[in-house]
Amino acid sequence: MMLGNVEFEMAWLAPEQWPRLPQHLVEWLVALCGLPEWLVSIAGWFTSAGVVVGVFMGLFALLSLIERKTLARVQNRYGPNRAGWFGILQPVADGIKMLTKEDIVPAKADWLLHLLGPVLIVIPSILALGVIPYGQDWVPVPLELGLVFFFAVGAMTEIAVFVAGWASGSKFPMLGAMRAISQMVSYELPLIISALAVVMMSGTLSLPEIVESQGGYTLGFLPQWNLFTPWGLSAGVVFFIACIAEANRCPFDLPEGESEIVAGHMTEYSGFKYALFFIGEYLGLFAISALGITLFLGGWQSPLPIFDFLPSWLWFFAKLAVVIFIFLWIRATFPRVRIDQLMRFAWLCLIPIALLSLPTAAIWHYANKANNDIVAWIATMPLVLIPWVVLTVLFNRRLSPATTRTYHFAE
Amino acid sequence: MIPLLILTPAILLAAIGAAWKARPVHAALLLALCLSLVGCLYVAMGAHFIGLVQFSVYVGAVAILIVFSLLITRPSDDDEEKVRRMKTGMPALACSLPLLVMLGFTMFKQSALLEAPADEPAMSLKVLGEILFTDYAPAVLAMAVLLTAVMIGAALFAREPSKKPEPPSDS
Amino acid sequence: MKDAKHQEPAGKAGKWTIPGYGLLQGLFVSGRNMVESYYKKERCPVIQYPEEKADISPNFRNFPFLCYDGDRPETGLRCTACGICEKECPPQCIYIVMDRDENGKAKKRPKVFDIDISVCMNCGICAEVCPFDSIYMDGQYEMATDDRFEKLVLGLDRLAKSTDYHMQLRPKEATAVMEKRKAAEEKKKAAAAARAAKAKAAAEKKAKEAKEQAEKNADDAKGGTE
Repeated sequence: MMLGNVEFEMAWLAPEQWPRLPQHLVEWLVALCGLPEWLVSIAGWFTSAGVVVGVFMGLFALLSLIERKTLARVQNRYGPNRAGWFGILQPVADGIKMLTKEDIVPAKADWLLHLLGPVLIVIPSILALGVIPYGQDWVPVPLELGLVFFFAVGAMTEIAVFVAGWASGSKFPMLGAMRAISQMVSYELPLIISALAVVMMSGTLSLPEIVESQGGYTLGFLPQWNLFTPWGLSAGVVFFIACIAEANRCPFDLPEGESEIVAGHMTEYSGFKYALFFIGEYLGLFAISALGITLFLGGWQSPLPIFDFLPSWLWFFAKLAVVIFIFLWIRATFPRVRIDQLMRFAWLCLIPIALLSLPTAAIWHYANKANNDIVAWIATMPLVLIPWVVLTVLFNRRLSPATTRTYHFAE
Repeated sequence: MIPLLILTPAILLAAIGAAWKARPVHAALLLALCLSLVGCLYVAMGAHFIGLVQFSVYVGAVAILIVFSLLITRPSDDDEEKVRRMKTGMPALACSLPLLVMLGFTMFKQSALLEAPADEPAMSLKVLGEILFTDYAPAVLAMAVLLTAVMIGAALFAREPSKKPEPPSDS
Repeated sequence: MKDAKHQEPAGKAGKWTIPGYGLLQGLFVSGRNMVESYYKKERCPVIQYPEEKADISPNFRNFPFLCYDGDRPETGLRCTACGICEKECPPQCIYIVMDRDENGKAKKRPKVFDIDISVCMNCGICAEVCPFDSIYMDGQYEMATDDRFEKLVLGLDRLAKSTDYHMQLRPKEATAVMEKRKAAEEKKKAAAAARAAKAKAAAEKKAKEAKEQAEKNADDAKGGTE
């Protein structure tokens, strides 16, 4: 269909294409105004980025409410229900409160770095969200090296945490930053190693291609997601636990353990800078959950063939909702772990299991090449089960609370 | 060409700042900035993979290592630092001068470096990977063994000494 | 001190568990709490305060109030302005002025009875020492005002509350007090009746004696004249 002198395609209006609709519309409008070609594409990029940021800021606002509601329900309360219908305006109220609070910069702080810290926290999360394939043909930035890009910008978070902690010029932020960085560095290893197994199997670093490699169904109804393979199961579990630690979520939210170090690297922040830390944290949570979905849960693929008619991005966001809910559920249930337990868990438990998933994936690959699923399962399951058997023995013989906890003085 | 013109002065400024700043933390952060700008430069020149690796290795690991070791050291006095810098500045410059001369010489000799970068990377990632795992396989394997050994060593360090606490003596 | 706790457990004697089993149990408990809170009242026992209020216990006590019998506080106030509570009050938040008639004679009721609730510490000593069952601790807790001075000083108009209110607030205590007062009143009445009867008897006796005397006198007079 021609409107004016530029093509307007009705295919843009299909539900499958909705995430791209703003970009198409802006490009069409800019072209309609007779602006040059390069301006049209720049306008398209900005709209695309705006959609990602806008959608995830909206989801952040929603999540901040849903999180409080869910926690409240677990604790047999109602949660915020005063601002608006069922508390729906609570994020707005929180935003107004944060914006109108006084911005305090401590006298001993380095003001420039103090300002830079929260900004640097938000940037990598938004950048990381840009390479995720949200729908069958909607990747804001289709990078060939999507996965490397994701972890490369993720490295900036650690610098940002250090900047925030050091620039505050007080001891709690400093200690909190040290904890946060050591935790992030330790948990990045299992995270990357378990992602590496997926890269090995799909033979690409491009996230859309990784999602496509998980298409199709076994026996016509079982989705071929990476999680449903032996190597994917062990790598996926390790990835999920490392995700929780990378996103600084409970039970690994040590950097902000208020009983020990106030609010960690955020102690000296107030007003909107403090809000920026929260935005960064939640956007990071979305980003890392989205990566987990892409790597292990089949991205935008639908779980059953009969649901294929639904738009692909809907499946992506449904999976995101489920994963985020599991994060909330875990937060509502478990107490915070101790710092030495945290490090020991990463180095002695997660990294070996993650490393073991690499040979498992290799065996699976060669057994599958011979087109023999049963042989592949039989060959790989022992490798998956070994860590659990070892853990069970260790847990019961050495690490169980009955044998390691001896209270000498607390009678 | 435009990114090159913007990035190179920025890289140089960050590097000079890293050398000049009295506070070690500022210097380390400027170094991190310098390294990440070099990564940007790689990306701008079409070498995406090396650029991103520059980011994750140098910014994510090396800079963090430097920063962490700085935290463990004693905070130094600013004035003392200035005196020390005056003392050590000249030898440092003298040492780095041959390197600078050599770099300049190579640049002028190799005029190809001044040509505009190609839009497409000269070598696709797949080809790169294949070369790494065929021609350079022994080196990669050696590195892998080394890194695994380092990791196991780190895990051993992280392990608590399995000494059982003495039960309290009765009094 | 060498008790079982400090000894090495007997190794394999205990049950073997799979690592993570306890975590799953925890997740189950919290998940059940969350789901059941939507349809089971005992899983979500929150009382949403301004709209709903919790029933207060009879043991709940807040600032004091003055009890009166009958319908009107002006006439039925039990308080006699004796001032015992004023003297006993540890933070001295009670201020009493006795009502007097024009001759300066005490009327045995307060003209002014103020309690400064910004000073009161809810100790309840006033209620304990009152010999006239007049002052009790209240169950009222919504005392917020926008004025720190006048509105936090409660006068007779806000302190005086009927016996019905007391009965509603603390039925057991109020009933006991009512019975005690009734018994006391009956005893008083009986005493008064007895006194009246005694007086009557005495009067009668006196009258009789007087009569007898008169008769005697009359007889004497008669005899004398004879």
